[in-house]
Amino acid sequence: MLLSSQYAALGVLLIAPTVLVFCAVIVYPLVSAIYLSLFSIYTPTLQGKWVGLDNYAKLLASGEFWGALRVTLVWTIGTLVLQLVFGIALALLLHQNLVFRSLARGLILFPYFVSTVVAVLVWRWLFNDLYGILNHVLLAAGLIDMPLDWLGQMPNAMVSLILVGAWKYFPFVVITVLARLQTIPDHLYEAAEMDGAGPVARFFDVTLPQLRDVLLVVILLRAIWDFKEFDLIWLMTGGGPVTSTQTLPLLVYRSAFGLNEMGGASAVAVLMMLVMLVFMALYIRAQRQE
Amino acid sequence: MAFDSTLKTGVSRRAVLAGVGAAGALAATSFSTPVRAQQATLRWWSPQAAPAQREAYLFQIAQFEKANPGVKVLFEPTSDEAYAQQLAAAFASGQVPNIVTHLPSFAVQDYWAAGLLEPFNDVITALGPQNFYEGANRIYEIDKGKYAGTGVGNTAANMLWVRKDLMQKASIDAIPRTWDELRNAARKMQGGGIFGAPLPYGRNSMTSLIFIGVIHQAGGQVFTPDLQVGIDTDKTLAALDWYKSMRELCPAGATNYSWGDSLTAFVSGATATGIYAGRVLANVTRQNPGIADSITCAAYPTISKDVEPWTFNDFPSVFIPKAAKDMEMTKKFAAHLFAPEGYIKQLLAAPGHVLPVLKPIAADPNYTADPIIKKFQKEVDLMAASAAGGYNLGFESAKHKPNTKGGKVVNSHVIAEMVQRVCLNNENPKTVLGETAKKIEEIMKS
Repeated sequence: MLLSSQYAALGVLLIAPTVLVFCAVIVYPLVSAIYLSLFSIYTPTLQGKWVGLDNYAKLLASGEFWGALRVTLVWTIGTLVLQLVFGIALALLLHQNLVFRSLARGLILFPYFVSTVVAVLVWRWLFNDLYGILNHVLLAAGLIDMPLDWLGQMPNAMVSLILVGAWKYFPFVVITVLARLQTIPDHLYEAAEMDGAGPVARFFDVTLPQLRDVLLVVILLRAIWDFKEFDLIWLMTGGGPVTSTQTLPLLVYRSAFGLNEMGGASAVAVLMMLVMLVFMALYIRAQRQE
Repeated sequence: MAFDSTLKTGVSRRAVLAGVGAAGALAATSFSTPVRAQQATLRWWSPQAAPAQREAYLFQIAQFEKANPGVKVLFEPTSDEAYAQQLAAAFASGQVPNIVTHLPSFAVQDYWAAGLLEPFNDVITALGPQNFYEGANRIYEIDKGKYAGTGVGNTAANMLWVRKDLMQKASIDAIPRTWDELRNAARKMQGGGIFGAPLPYGRNSMTSLIFIGVIHQAGGQVFTPDLQVGIDTDKTLAALDWYKSMRELCPAGATNYSWGDSLTAFVSGATATGIYAGRVLANVTRQNPGIADSITCAAYPTISKDVEPWTFNDFPSVFIPKAAKDMEMTKKFAAHLFAPEGYIKQLLAAPGHVLPVLKPIAADPNYTADPIIKKFQKEVDLMAASAAGGYNLGFESAKHKPNTKGGKVVNSHVIAEMVQRVCLNNENPKTVLGETAKKIEEIMKS
């Protein structure tokens, strides 16, 4: 009995650091955000008053929140799908016996490594209506008469954002999928070939099922990261034109530091978290049922 | 405290210049000077951080550090579009800079109203209130006798810049005075890869600030003198109508233009007219000297000749956060920024862009001898006069009370959004204007 008590105390002692760290980095910020969302707080002074659920009521009644949620979903789904398509395609290509394969595998990571600020500056120059190479090439090819406004009108702004997002983050899909591809046993492909399966059938019947687990993780992680993406969108369009590319993280930033309403911003952040939790729970449940 | 800002007659120019020189010296001595070296690190924020300006700041810093052993000054650039967010975070965290320069005066009014700033009276006294242009400090006197900051310069931010060579080619005799004339001129000059104007249509502060000017150029206002929302009028509708009609004369990317893009469009020769402050002079001289002899500026046109021009002066400021460490040394540094040698270097880093607020500096041969100032004396004089009679949302006219929510209205982008909804989305102007007025009312009440 005494021994088991000692073991229990030791167990608590050993687990305590983990619990403390968890509380410090997860529980405290979470509780703080929820707590702040119940106040009206002026950001520079952090002083305010209790308003209860008013911030939530105002948000849910405002078109701005729902508009930003819709934009966030369009951006997340759009860029995620492209990341997966490009990522899997490139991973399959880099899995072949190519000349300079190692070099190509290294170079493919370049967009992922380059700083977002630098990437956005480069893309903004490419998209520039007066000096951008994209408009220059399209004009020279006679495809357009006047320069296109890539970032200042819809749907161009959203399409441009999704494309740049896909370019920036698809290497993550490439490296994770490529790692899994290298562990798929060859005999599965040999057996499929003997059964008369062509390249397409082998992809859908062998490769894709083998990638399922890794894709589940990739989709989960990338969906979370894309859902809360801030810097790329802020630097590319600032949320415009009007609010056509204003996602929820931009709304949080604008509320907290543009309008100096920290309470309202916290309420958006908490709702963002809830939306993500609901989507992730549904997604994982659907995967398990399959 | 009331300052007598008029120069007494009978004081010679030499004496005035000597006075400012003395002000610089005074700046170094009027705050209690420690006998032993004092260890301190001061942080200086400014959105005006072009390479030449930074070089001038470093000169001022080096001078100050030399005169104050043990003191280190760090210059940290911010930006016109992001300072509000950065300062909000700085105030909230308590990690404030010691001194902030070149922010628009309405930002200072906003922070003062929230009790976040140190009164600037000591610094103004050290510099000599009589050395400032008349009325230069009135916008900072939000509470009677207490100054939230002072001007580090003046800027006429919405001047109309034109290319005389293109005007001649298009057989345009005179610089446009009214909106119709400007639109016709822009239409005539547009072509061959050159657009008529680089007006901003982005969701940013430039669009808000420029369009506030356009409302005034239509004879309207955003607030009444007693700070009731007064934007929902036919005059604003006329402003929206004209601004929308100019869209086809601006580059496609103007939908995302902010200050830098608009400036570059004119300087590079991509547009026949420009809307900007005096930085055009230095940039054209350095980056596109081929058009330097052809450019000139005028006050931005108005709806008709009956409406006087309205110049947007953001009154580039200098202020000190109340939570700044080493307050005495900070004030000493604030005063040092106006010491003639360094201040003139700072002003000449972008000649004609930030104009002096101290009368003797404007007359100082070291300032007036600058080749760009000399070459464009007429334009610089016009900008100085326009800026002196200029206003902004924190102070819309001489009749208006200081508006401590002006910064919040600008940073909320409600005015830029109104422009975008009407000009880009073709929404009903009356409906959009009504909604915008309500949003501004909510901001004022918050």
